This record gives sequence, structure tokens and C-alpha cells, in this order.
Amino acid sequence: MIGFIIRRLLTLIPLLLGITMLVFILMSLAPGDFLTPVKAQRDVPAELIQAIEIEFGLDQPWYVQYVKWLGNVFEGNLGHSWAYKLPVSDLIGQRIFATFLLSICAFVFSWGIAIPLGVLAAIYKDSIFDRISAGLAYAALSVPEFFLALLLVFFAAQTGWFPMGGATSIEYEYMGFFEKLADRAHHLILPTLALGIGSIASIMRIMRANFLDTIRAGFVTTARAKGLSEFMVMFKHALRNAINPLVSAFGFAFSGLLSGALMVEIVLQYPGLGQLMYQSILREDQFVVLAAVMMGCTMLVLGNLLADILLAWSDPRIRLEKKK
Amino acid sequence: MAFSIFRHTAILRALFCGGLAAFVTSGCDQVVERPVAEVAPIPMDAEVVEFPVGEYGANVVETIPGDLATLNPLVNESVAGSTAIGRILDSLITLDAESGEVIPNLAKSWEISEDNLQYTFHLREGVHWSDGQPFTAADVVFTWGTFFAKETDTATGKPAVDENGKVKYRYNSRSTFGQMINGKEPQVEQLDDYTVRFTTPEVYAPFLLFGGGEEILPKHVLYDAFEDGTLMDQWSVETAINEPWKIVGLNMFVLESYRPGERIVFARNPNYWKVNSDGARLPYVERIITKIVQDVNSSNVAFAQGLTDFETIAPDNVAWVKRGEARFDYTILDMGPSSTTNFIWFNLNPGQTEEGKPYVEPYKFEWFSDKRFRQAISYGINREGIIRGVYFNRADILNGYVSPKRKFWYNDDIRKYGYLPDKSRALFEELGFEYRGQDLYDAKGNRVEFSIMTNSNNGLRVEMATVFKENMAELGIDVELQFLDFNTIINKTSDSFDYEACMLGLGGGAPDPYAGKDILMSGGRMHFTNPQQSEPGTEWEARIDELMREIGRHTDVETRKAYFFEVQAIMAEEQPMIFLVSAKDFVGYRNRWQNIEPTALGGLTWNLESLWAEVAE
Repeated sequence: MIGFIIRRLLTLIPLLLGITMLVFILMSLAPGDFLTPVKAQRDVPAELIQAIEIEFGLDQPWYVQYVKWLGNVFEGNLGHSWAYKLPVSDLIGQRIFATFLLSICAFVFSWGIAIPLGVLAAIYKDSIFDRISAGLAYAALSVPEFFLALLLVFFAAQTGWFPMGGATSIEYEYMGFFEKLADRAHHLILPTLALGIGSIASIMRIMRANFLDTIRAGFVTTARAKGLSEFMVMFKHALRNAINPLVSAFGFAFSGLLSGALMVEIVLQYPGLGQLMYQSILREDQFVVLAAVMMGCTMLVLGNLLADILLAWSDPRIRLEKKK
Repeated sequence: MAFSIFRHTAILRALFCGGLAAFVTSGCDQVVERPVAEVAPIPMDAEVVEFPVGEYGANVVETIPGDLATLNPLVNESVAGSTAIGRILDSLITLDAESGEVIPNLAKSWEISEDNLQYTFHLREGVHWSDGQPFTAADVVFTWGTFFAKETDTATGKPAVDENGKVKYRYNSRSTFGQMINGKEPQVEQLDDYTVRFTTPEVYAPFLLFGGGEEILPKHVLYDAFEDGTLMDQWSVETAINEPWKIVGLNMFVLESYRPGERIVFARNPNYWKVNSDGARLPYVERIITKIVQDVNSSNVAFAQGLTDFETIAPDNVAWVKRGEARFDYTILDMGPSSTTNFIWFNLNPGQTEEGKPYVEPYKFEWFSDKRFRQAISYGINREGIIRGVYFNRADILNGYVSPKRKFWYNDDIRKYGYLPDKSRALFEELGFEYRGQDLYDAKGNRVEFSIMTNSNNGLRVEMATVFKENMAELGIDVELQFLDFNTIINKTSDSFDYEACMLGLGGGAPDPYAGKDILMSGGRMHFTNPQQSEPGTEWEARIDELMREIGRHTDVETRKAYFFEVQAIMAEEQPMIFLVSAKDFVGYRNRWQNIEPTALGGLTWNLESLWAEVAE
């Protein structure tokens, strides 16, 4: 098992090298650089722009910049943000909590609703409930996240029931503990909906299909034949087996924990990593973008690894070790 | 062993109900002891503000489009950053909100020597920084020292130079190069605790404004960082989040807290140096809570819902924001023309690419470089149409380089270009152009057509470009519109020169003609038509260069004004920049605020220290 994990983590190295190099190439191909918006201001002396260009190494070709950056990374330094004059890791640290919280909420919300709904839709297959849930699932799947977020902003503006953005109210600093908690929760409702609804639909459909496959299997008939109650058959025997394939979906959900919320964060003005990344990409604040890409990539690999480990744990047919 | 979600419910419940709750609120709230600032006695030289006495304690709620990147004035490039820094730091002089004249601020008075080279500032005595430390001339000298500190060559002990033999500065800031006068540094010396003297290397008229306008940094806070080379990393957002009290200033407010992407809270500076007519320390406002929003539109929406106290309203949003005036008890004021300008220019760069291809097709370059062609285009633009159709009457015609907002420097007696399509056609005929049917052809039989680019994220500009295309079609000219990313446009206009015409705008800028030297002078980085020329390419450019140099050299206001009027007249005659319109400024405030006396130059909150509102019980 440990050998397997180490092998998997080692594949990260060429992957990260390739991806970061690609980012460097793409950013050098994109028009302008970090200093372009500065050049458009009338009161910036030309000498200052030259001096900063040299300071940041922007006068060098991309591969020279890349090698320099790599050298720093191997020393454990992800670089300084040009706009913020802060180590990139500090900058990400400031924002990571908000995004993590949102992703966890959306995850709990969508999985908590999708799994029971999927099971019920399978048990009552072809009933009115099944049809309505299928219809809603297709509707939810066909509305893109960002558009749903826009609709929610409009809803908030019209009704005034929810805040139109942010993670805390203006008075937050002066609230008691439970008020703070309630305030955070109030601000999380709309982003959670926007982020969660799409995945409810897909997880629910997967769950339904799995469950249908399972209840047609031989062991379910056996269980019924030996006189177990229908409840026991469904929830003790069928469900456990049906949930296995969702474990790999869980791996993907994990990999999106820190990067999946970008669109929703931007539309709903939620102050997380997504906003920081978006601004940094627009601003071409190179090292922040690189760190973000690396983080997303690492999370994806870790998510898949986690899914594989969980699968091996839950399904005795899967073995991660090579056969001796 | 089978895995079941249900078996783990207990753990999940524990995690999400108990654990997470504590986690949620503790995540970014750090409880750190905030040092209590010492309150110093009211300064001997406190400025007495003559507004009616008000009540203390109200909070201002406002929005700001865009987030901070830093609070270090030597690093900051963002608007949000300048606004925040401007509330905390202060300068020796300021501008009168009514007349635009230079008036005392931290300096109570100054003298300029007979040869116009020495500026002696007398500082207000007894002023203290927000943390209670005294403010003296040493702070001023320290601030200027950070601009011009040089790197030392460790081998020789002399100032280090780069491969081109240029001096390497320790902290490359905007002020380092911006405060240099023809490549030479002004000198600064401390005469006593409250007197500081600057010596400029040559007569430099805008020094009082540009030099005196520098925000003063606290030596006692930043000296160590200056010495160990970390000055640029000071006052970052990390400091703002964790130790906001370390950002010390002389202005009305200090930073109370900052949450990235969410809000900035300013608290009243207990050591501010202005008092009301009863001799009580200002400002009245207890806190400013600034919510960070995505853009001007979301900012305007928040005001229109009665959520914020003060707001600048975009001209295209005024109509619907006005609808809430009665319901949310606020007022919207038309402040007249703004200082922003919108204009078109043609690429007049005669150079060629590395492959030897001219930047502009030679036959088109011939049109563009003839002033009659540019005048004809200018006569063909329906500016009233733009004002009606694009701005819904919330803009004014812009005749020349200076916006009518800058009343003092505005020359109204210049060539003006009304909407006269017949005059355009007559000028084209004078150039030997001819109409074949509806279409215009030049003397050599080339169809008159060109492309114009503008930045796609500016809706108003995109609409203006569309009107321009229609106007040109009426003259028989085919215009191709290109809506591009802003960075692409800047690259094209300053590096690759691969474009024919462009529409952009300029905002604000310092209220001195010399602030426009990079735009007006042919060697300037932002001399749009043909930047950074080593020698002026045309006679009129040479004349403007000469006039601008004189404006820099003369301290007599009337002389400077006469020169600047001539610059404006040449710009109008030659039309290198074809000016279009200038949007009006609109501001809004909630009616609960007292002592509001907006001015065109100072806007709504120029007297923020005197604004007050009744505090709801």
C-alpha cells in the first residue's frame, strides 16, 4: 500500500513540471505582462517601469524566468506576489479557509440530498416521484453554475432575504459568537446552493443507476428468499454494494474542494481563493497563478489517490499491491 | 470490510455540528491585543475648521470597487489602495477644494527663495502620529530618503551602478523617478525640528505641488525596515489583517481591521491635528466601514438600496439610482464636468517593424499625417449625438486637451469642431479625395477605410466607437471596429505599433499642466500618436515641447497659463488627439449627513473631518 502511494505521489513531479511550464508559455504568449496596466497610467515614469522590469526579470525570455522560478521552488519558495509584495503561500493562506468552508458546505449539501434521493428514485422506479426527480435533475444539470449564481444574486437583490455577496456582514466584528455563526451561515446559503445544485443532480443519477443494478443482482433475490424484510434487503445489503462506485466520484469531489468554486465565488463576490486567482490571472501576477495551478493539480492527484485507497478498503476485489 | 456512510454518521455529526461551528468562527478571527494609542494633547498649531459644530460618533458605510493589494504607498498601484492610504497618510500641502490653489496642510507655511530653487517648509508644531509619537522634520527627511536611497557596492563601498552605468536605487518607487527633475534629485535638509528645506537642481515650477504633495511616512515605525532592506514588504495586506495598528499615519483615520475581499474598517485617528471652532478634536466620524465590491455597478446598486452613505455614480447609472431618492432618503448631485477625457487618435508613427514593414500602410500614413484629414474627421463626429445616445445627456462636449472642470487652466478660445459634415467633405475635396457614389476615395484611387480599436470592457467606449463608425459611414468612410482586451491595446500603442486608430480615455491626473508632459511632449511615454521620439518629428510637436519646457521652468502663474493656452490652441488646430466628450460627475449622499458642501474639485467628502450625522439610539 505504501509503495503504491509513493509511486502515485512520484508521478506528481513530472505532471507539475509539465503543467507549470505550460502556464509559463501561455502567460508569455498572452498579450502584455504584469506591468502593462501600469504603463497605461500617465504619471508613471518610464525609468520606474524599466527598473521594475529588471527587478522582476520580465525582460528575460520565459524559459529563463521558468528556470529561476523552479530553482526557488526547489528551495521551498513559491515566490512573492508582485502586486501584494507577499509570499504567495501567505496570500493563499489568507483565503483558503473561506473557500474550504464553502466547498465543504456544498459537498455536504449535495451528497446529503443526492444519495437518499437516488435510492428512493431507484426503489420507486417509474413512479411519479422518480419521474419528477429525473426531470428536476436534468433541469439542474443543464443550468450552468455561474448562471444559477447570477439568478441567485438577482433573487437576493429582489427579495432582500439574503446578502448579495461577501462572507460576513458589516457588523460582524462586533457580534457575539453565536451571532457570528448565524451570520456566516446566512452568507453561505446562496453560494452553497449555487455550487451544490449541479452536483446533486449528477450524483443522484449515478446513485439511482447503481442501486438499480444492485437490486437486480442475485444476492438481493437470495436475501429476499431467506425472508429478510424489504427494509433490511434494501438498506443493509443493496445500499452498501451500490455505494461503492460513488467512492471514485468522491475522489473527484475532493479534488475540486479548493478550485471548484471559482465561478460561483466571482459571481457571488465570495472572498475566497477563486477571487484571488481570478484577479491574479487578469493582472498576470505570475507566481500566484502558478501556485494556484499547482495546488489544483496536486488536489486532483490526491483526490484520485484517496478514491483508489477508499475503493481498495471498501471493495475486497480491488488490490493495490502488485500480485506476488 | 465494507464501507458504509451510515456507519460513520456519529463521526460526521460530531464533525459538522460541533467541530465545524468552532472552526467557522475561529478560522480567520485572531484575537490579538491591540495596543492603545496614546492620545497626545491638541497641537499648538492645530488647524481650526470653520464649519458648524457637530455631534460625534456616526459611522460611514461605503463601498469601494476593487480590493487592496498593499497599504505601502511606495508599492501601491490600485485605486482602492490609494483611497485607503490617502485616509491614513497626509502631506505637507494640499489643494483648496474650491479654487484648486496650493494651501497649507502639515506645513503651516513656506517660503520660496528669490532664485526659485529653495523651498523652506515650516511644519505645524505639536502634531503627533496616530500612535502618539511626535511628528517632526525628521519624518519628512526620512520619507524623501527612502525615494533616493542607493544600493551600495559591497566591494567599493560606493553607490552601485547597473551595466548602463545608471545608479541603482534601493527602493524603486514611483516617487524615486517621479520626483527627479531632469534626471537629478532634489536635496532635502532638516533645519530644525519643525523646518525642512528642499533645494531643486533647477527651477521647477510644479515642485510645490508635486513635492509638497508627497505622503509623509513615519520614521519611528519604518526606519528599521528601511535599514534592513524590507521597506517594500512593510504594510502589506498581511500587516493589515493581523496588526493593523502598525500602519501609522497623520490623517483623519487609522486602519482598524481588514478582511481581504470583504471590507476595510477605518477608525478615527485620536491624534488628528484639526479641531472644530470649539477647539475639540476632529473628525466627528467614529468609523468608516468600506465594503469591497466587484465593480462600479455593484457599488452603485448598494447605494441605490440605501445601504451606503456616500457614492460616486457612473453617468449611465444615474437615471435608475435617482428613482430611490425619496424611498431611501438620499440626494444625488450633478457636479458638472469631470476631469476624464475621451479621444481618438491615428497612428502617426513613421517607423517600421524589424522586418522592414511600415507600421502604417504608406498611403494611409499620408492621410493620417495631414492635419486637414484629422480636422475633417473631427468635423464629421456628432458629439451631441454621442452625448444624447450614449450618455443620455450626462456628458459635455470636449473641445480640447483640458476638461472644462479645470477652470483655471481651461482655454475656451481654441478651434472648435462642431458637427459639420459638409465642412468635412469640403476638406476631403481640398485633399484631392473624391466620392464615387457614396464612397470616399483618395487622390490615388484608394478607398478611404481604417480600423479603430478600443477596450472591450468599457461599455461606454464601445458604444461611442459604434456611433463614430456610423458618423464616418455618412462621410463615405468605412471604419472597422476592433474591441480588444486592454492589455492588447496598450501593447499595440506602446510596443508593436500595429494599429491604425484607437479610442481611449484619460482620467484625472494632477491639476498642474506639467503633469501632462508625458502625453504632450514628443519624447513622452504616452505621446499617443508617436511616443518616445528622440527628436520631435513635426514643427508643431517641436513647439509644444518648447512650450512645455517653459511651463516647467517658470514659476509665474500667468506666464505658465499663457504658454499652456498656446499648447491647447496647437492641439486643437492640429488634432493629434480628436477629443470627444467628458462625462459629468455625479455624487450621492444620504440626507442624514450634515455640513455637506460639495465642490467640483473636492467632491463630496473633501471636508470629511467636519461631516457628522445624528447617531441612532
